Amino acid sequence: MVKAVKGNDSSVKQIILGLNERGQFIIEDLDDTHVFVDASCVEQLRADIDQILNENTYNAEEANK
Amino acid sequence: MKLWFKGSAGLAKHEEAMQRLKTLNIFAEEKDCYTMNAAFLKQFRNALTGGGKSQSFGLATSTPDKHHVDIAFLDDYATKQWEAILHFMVGTTEGKPPCKGVLNLLGRSGLMTGGSDSGDNMDAHDFANHMARQDFGVPKITHKGFQFLLQDINTQVWAFLLQYLNTAESLNMDLVEVLTFFFQLGSLELGNDYSSEMLTETQKHLLEDLKAYGIVYQRKKGSRRFYPTRLATTLTSGTPVMLGSHSNAAKIAAPGARKGEGSGDDDDHGFIIMETNYRMYAYTDSPLQIAVLNLFVHLRDRFPNMVTGVITRDSIRRALFKGITADQIITYLTTHAHAQMRKRSPILPLTVVDQIRLWEMEKNRLRPTTSWLYSQFGRQQDFEGALQYASELGVVVWSNQKRRIVCVTAEGHNAVSGYIRRMITRHKEQQQAQQNEQRQQQAVSVAP
Repeated sequence: MVKAVKGNDSSVKQIILGLNERGQFIIEDLDDTHVFVDASCVEQLRADIDQILNENTYNAEEANK
Repeated sequence: MKLWFKGSAGLAKHEEAMQRLKTLNIFAEEKDCYTMNAAFLKQFRNALTGGGKSQSFGLATSTPDKHHVDIAFLDDYATKQWEAILHFMVGTTEGKPPCKGVLNLLGRSGLMTGGSDSGDNMDAHDFANHMARQDFGVPKITHKGFQFLLQDINTQVWAFLLQYLNTAESLNMDLVEVLTFFFQLGSLELGNDYSSEMLTETQKHLLEDLKAYGIVYQRKKGSRRFYPTRLATTLTSGTPVMLGSHSNAAKIAAPGARKGEGSGDDDDHGFIIMETNYRMYAYTDSPLQIAVLNLFVHLRDRFPNMVTGVITRDSIRRALFKGITADQIITYLTTHAHAQMRKRSPILPLTVVDQIRLWEMEKNRLRPTTSWLYSQFGRQQDFEGALQYASELGVVVWSNQKRRIVCVTAEGHNAVSGYIRRMITRHKEQQQAQQNEQRQQQAVSVAP
């Protein structure tokens, strides 16, 4: 089984493309907001994206310390 | 009899009820007069007056109790037991963990996660530890559990009892007896003691469990009398339970700790002030409410009668990971908004509400859809035919005309693949037929 992944923005798509260089899981690159990936990778992908987005957010609490 | 009902809605319900009673042969209609079935009438009177052997209102004990307890004590007891359950749900360490029956029920009803089935052979303490270990010290409250916390106490008790009914069957308990006892409890009088001697084995077992929820009080196990608490006596009445709000309950539990001052005390539900800069002030001293807030607010300072905190991306994300939705958080904040906040419209600052929603959306930036991809169509017609067929079924996820790619959902896969296969075989047959025709024509042209 395979999955199409739909993001609401192309920035997430670029992150996915970057991650793809580590482990090849993209089957078909559809357009700016869609990629077709292996279903078994979706959870891992979600965690990875979450982590990357987390690194790139400004944290007011930590900044004040 | 029609005068008993107001409006047409009530009348319709009345007619439906009468219809059912008639089919049950309880009522018979004769020239606009209703007559009640004689046997039913007799038993009904019996039940209403509490006569006969059925004991519909419980058997009051005839001798005075040496260890009589008053209503205040019962309220205190009920509050303590019930809050212990709620405390456990939000993960505070206050008080001892509730007994195994409660934990089982919490697990089975899906209010909390944690091996409800695996705990059968463990005692209560082990079980609580077991549940605690699964989430590094805090047993997980589920999406459903949070919803449960938001409801008023009467609904909570009913939800609990309904869940109990569901599990009762698997515990080999007679549903009828359990139900009878529930309704009987609802009609008991607060502050009176009742004899447990007339109860059946099932009901005695039930009494033990209800004791753990704080619905009834028994001085010691096997005591011949029990007291219904306020939780029990308000079961069947529509009036809100006095213990209804947690802040009220806190007042009962710790009468000295709270002075009636400020407008927040008049309005039991309103104690939260939310500012546009994400700071939150909650006028409460109830550990339970503070624990609930702690689920999604980063608490900073705690004073005798209030706590302050700030809603941050991390605090909301923590809640989201537990399965609590943004809408639930917003609803909680709105329903518990301070009286001063209620004067404004909208009640909560828009920035905060929007930001909470945005944080939730951020978590779901990836939307996976299980689907099948069709590509490398040989001819444009094949692709267009397949696309048209799939869109008629409404299963297209994504398609591209130029690259001849179409994505269909998993449900549509079988139908679409079948269609494409048929289309291609038909095309091949046609081609073969054409070739045969051509050959024949060639043959014809060669012949003369």
